[in-house]
Amino acid sequence: MAANEDNKKQALKECCLDEEFTRDEQNQKLIDEIAKENILLTEEIQKLEAELQEATRNSQINEDIPETKIKFTSVENPESDSQFSNISYSCQVSSKVPYELQKGQALITFEKEEVAQNVIRRGEHYVQLQDVNVKMMAKPVPLNSGVRFQVHVEVSKMKVNVTEIPDILPESQMRDKLELSFYKSRNGGGEVESVEYDKQSGSAVITFAESGVADKILKMKDYPLYINQNCHRVIVSPYTETHLKKFQVFSGIAKRTVLLTGMENLQKTDEETVEDFINIHFQREKNGGGEVEVVACSLGQSQIAYFEE
Amino acid sequence: MLALHTLQEEQARLKMRLQELRRKLRDVPKDKVPFPVPEVPLVFRGHIQQDREMAKSVISKLQICYPLPGGSAVVIFDDPNVAKQVLQQKEHKINVEEFWLRVQVQPLELPMLTTIQVSSQMSDQRVLVSGFPAELKLSEEELLDKLEIFFGKTKNGGGDVEMRELLQGGVMLGFAKDGVAQRLCQTGQFTVPLGKQQVPLRASPYVSGTIQKAEVRSQLVPQAVLVLNIPDVLDGPELQDILEVHFQKPTRGGGEVEALRVVPLGHRGLAVFTAKSG
Repeated sequence: MAANEDNKKQALKECCLDEEFTRDEQNQKLIDEIAKENILLTEEIQKLEAELQEATRNSQINEDIPETKIKFTSVENPESDSQFSNISYSCQVSSKVPYELQKGQALITFEKEEVAQNVIRRGEHYVQLQDVNVKMMAKPVPLNSGVRFQVHVEVSKMKVNVTEIPDILPESQMRDKLELSFYKSRNGGGEVESVEYDKQSGSAVITFAESGVADKILKMKDYPLYINQNCHRVIVSPYTETHLKKFQVFSGIAKRTVLLTGMENLQKTDEETVEDFINIHFQREKNGGGEVEVVACSLGQSQIAYFEE
Repeated sequence: MLALHTLQEEQARLKMRLQELRRKLRDVPKDKVPFPVPEVPLVFRGHIQQDREMAKSVISKLQICYPLPGGSAVVIFDDPNVAKQVLQQKEHKINVEEFWLRVQVQPLELPMLTTIQVSSQMSDQRVLVSGFPAELKLSEEELLDKLEIFFGKTKNGGGDVEMRELLQGGVMLGFAKDGVAQRLCQTGQFTVPLGKQQVPLRASPYVSGTIQKAEVRSQLVPQAVLVLNIPDVLDGPELQDILEVHFQKPTRGGGEVEALRVVPLGHRGLAVFTAKSG
């Protein structure tokens, strides 16, 4: 509809253009009008772009990683030089997919996938919960999507980050001063291979020719930078690069876990007892079940159950 | 006249952009992604929480590689206290028959990721190719090459491939030019020669991730001691024995050694660390 109107307008404008192109005044009016329209369009585009940005950011992962105990595994031969100039850290992060377990629902995980699928195929199950017989429905668990990715961190053995460099010299001169300060072995430095200096942010990356120098320098928090008799303390920190790899959105599918419903009107509130009865029922082969790994049910408030790989 | 024309062109461009944005906003992934993404089997292992304040991710496959220069060794003690004692002297003098071997010792610190923040966004340059048969007998590299060859061709609707990654149940391809990914997703279905077979594959939008924040902290390995600057006077195996004997001597502050690896001068090594399970 709107597009149609636009077309009409467009046609009108073009026809005006053909017939009255000599009349500058009208032309100017048209130009103003279109310019105004364009401004409005641009504004709307900006608004939508912001909205889109906001909307696509909704699936953000924000994780604090608990301290992990580390064990030594082996010593290997590095394949490439780059492996030798960095301490490299890598790990895989996978989101646990939450499922809101409503009142009257239960989750049961079987050891075997076939058993779970069989329970779903049967659909209806009559489970004896102490003195009551409850009709339960077995269904696949509707799961949301999750993300998984690898994080690679490389901490350089050859480079250090330098910050809080005073902005008091022209760029090339400061680069030389940095090199002159960082090659001094008296201060813990060593032969400098390159200096990347960013005047604007007052920071630099110093690359040393030999490994071990960066380690020594990083033992200190700051380092003396000599500029004409004056000593400035600049801050040194590890040079670290972080990469994201194999980022993937996936849809979770529960193959061994089954959703049971039908306990909404249960008079009992002791979840543990009910879980035991469900466990006993579905362990029996004659009920279509098999070895059960875990059961959880919700009889009061809804709870969040987490699914993982 | 010219001004009018430019303005009209500008308006047409703006209108197109507006439409594109409206369409994209409609397609934004809400809780569920609107297009098929590879399925990953998940299991409920009994983790339940009343509120959402719980680690929402699982960290696995942790690995840290620490480069060791020639003339160094890594010693892992049974008892962290022994490592602490050994580190009290920076230099150790080791008795080898008629001479002394001087070596330096250092604590071993490893970088550990403590916080990670990643946002995801629909990518304009990338697609996810999926639908690979399970019995496909191609190595990762072979498969990626074949896909790049096919999707690199303009006659197949593709373009220059800049990035490729094998994922679980799919392959991500990143294109140099804008528009290629969108075109491929519109076509959707492709028959791609993979080895001897013609395989029907699906191209769908790819959601890419960006690191917003990553914090790395240095963590001490309490049982470990790094030995550096070992002079080149002994062969590897002999040196290994002598170091082991030295670091086990309680009189020298040493104790039970769990592992000791030497990297002789002229060689180099990578000490590999993983997460202690349980």
